[in-house]
Amino acid sequence: MCLVEAYLIVSRFDKQRAGNLAFNSSQMESLSPVIKENFLRPQNVGDLGAKGFTGRAGSIVCGAALRVSLSIDQSQRIVDARFKAAGCSCLVGAASYLTQEIKGELSGEVAALLQPPANTIREALGEIPGERTHCVTLICQALLSAITAYSDSVRDEWHGEEALICSCFCVSERAIESAIRTGGLRTIAEVTKACNAGGGCRSCHSLIEDILSDCASQYPDTSGY
Amino acid sequence: MIYLDNNATTRVAPEVVAAMQPFLTEHYGNPSSAHALGRKMKSAVEQARDQVAALLGAAEASEIVFTSCGSESDNWAIGGFLEQNPNRRHIVTTRVEHEAVRNLCEHLAEIGCEVTWLEVDRNGELDLDDLRRALRRDTGIVSVMLANNETGVLFPIEQIGKIVRENSDAVFHVDGVQAVGKIPINLKDLEIDLFALSGHKLHAPQGIGALYVRKGMTLPPFIIGGAQESGRRGGTPAVPNIVGLGAACELAAKPEGHEHVRRLRDKLEDEILSQVPNTSLNGTSDRSRRLPNTANISFQYVEGENIMMLLDEAGICVSTGSACHSGTHQASPTLRAMNVPYTAAQGAIRFSLGRYNTEEEIDRTLEVLPGIINRLVEMSPYEKELRALETAKANYE
Repeated sequence: MCLVEAYLIVSRFDKQRAGNLAFNSSQMESLSPVIKENFLRPQNVGDLGAKGFTGRAGSIVCGAALRVSLSIDQSQRIVDARFKAAGCSCLVGAASYLTQEIKGELSGEVAALLQPPANTIREALGEIPGERTHCVTLICQALLSAITAYSDSVRDEWHGEEALICSCFCVSERAIESAIRTGGLRTIAEVTKACNAGGGCRSCHSLIEDILSDCASQYPDTSGY
Repeated sequence: MIYLDNNATTRVAPEVVAAMQPFLTEHYGNPSSAHALGRKMKSAVEQARDQVAALLGAAEASEIVFTSCGSESDNWAIGGFLEQNPNRRHIVTTRVEHEAVRNLCEHLAEIGCEVTWLEVDRNGELDLDDLRRALRRDTGIVSVMLANNETGVLFPIEQIGKIVRENSDAVFHVDGVQAVGKIPINLKDLEIDLFALSGHKLHAPQGIGALYVRKGMTLPPFIIGGAQESGRRGGTPAVPNIVGLGAACELAAKPEGHEHVRRLRDKLEDEILSQVPNTSLNGTSDRSRRLPNTANISFQYVEGENIMMLLDEAGICVSTGSACHSGTHQASPTLRAMNVPYTAAQGAIRFSLGRYNTEEEIDRTLEVLPGIINRLVEMSPYEKELRALETAKANYE
């Protein structure tokens, strides 16, 4: 990505519009405790190299550039996460916090949380000044694109014969049924948490609903007993 | 606390506080009153006017009018002229003016004035031929700053004044806010009609400014009211602040302190540029064409806000060259006008020194800064670009 080129295009228009941008000091006080702590002592700065799946995000309007890399194991769980960022304190703090929090979680479940509007993630980060909410969008985009890179590679390597329900994370009907029966699952969110299915593009959600209701009819509600 | 943000504002000098003290206590009259208390105030205001006139090298003290701040002075100068000359609506100014001029001219352009914006080059300097070409017979006012607040680059107002006189009937307004008290000024030898200054940039308190109005020129009052300031600005004068500004001008007129600031700035700038690999100077490297107290340095491929906040954590106050406002985080218009690359403008830091900085403070800053930059460089996703910079520097050496 060439932000320099993008800037040159933007700046030609922008020169006409004198923004109210002065040299100013931003306010450390306006950062939430989670973000401030993570900005001052960032975790997971770095890169996982060839074994990681890379995701990038950048903003032409604010000039931030961000790269994350995720290591995801055979069970589709995120085992390591790193980031590199040239962006404001809010972006750095959010990237540090989220890379830490997603470790050990299933990639599909994380993907589901990262998708817009990502309210759970925004709540976890604490109050963010209005003009900085796009920092959270950027880190979510970068992490999602890393998980997408992973899901693409899983799909490329998929050689199974079974019918796939979740093609984002290559989860078969049989695997979903098994997860539902074993866990007594009742919602799509529970299915995603258990076996990764449905964490991506969501096009399989109606199919998962069908499987859930099939299973529920075969095994009637026993919660009253 | 190490304060390297003297272009934002300055600490009020002890001499200034001492001069103001009686006017916050026993001397409480209104300078417009005819009784003894009032006359005491009146003479204090006139003494301050002499002190300001002396620092600016004005021909007469009556050319100085007290205002509330630099922005008021700028607004009065330009707005007042246009009010008086509604048919001379062509304004010439630069891309890098302070908001007090730039946003005012943007506004005037929206309401029917024609504004010609002079561009600056990569060093932040003007091409005077652009100015010659911009001037027309109907040009009403030319407004050019003396010193840029962000880079410290000085514009050649002596030459500009002559060019304006020779090529137009325009009046020449200079925003001198950032220069007054830092470099010598001699207005009586210059072709300048209006000149704005602000007290808090030179160790007077916030809330006091002045406009120099060349003798023979009249401006309609910006604030319509009583006969204060010879009818040029209504409102009871802020006597304590005016006395403070006078004392600050007297302090700045003394030679002591100025060389000290220049030496510390040179040291800070030289050491940063030579020790930190990913740096570049914003503004001309010819120090005779820059303020002696300002160094604007880009730490390329890292985020200036983060540098500023980590320096803040270490007790060092500086400013950044970019700011996040309403979802857009843009480089300052000055750096953009200079075509500073995006990745350098984002990492621009302004160090602006003052007479109270010490050698120890500069040493401490030089001790802390490389670690902070290194930390952010390690975090930067622009590894290739940073490696290329290091290689280029190694080859150069």
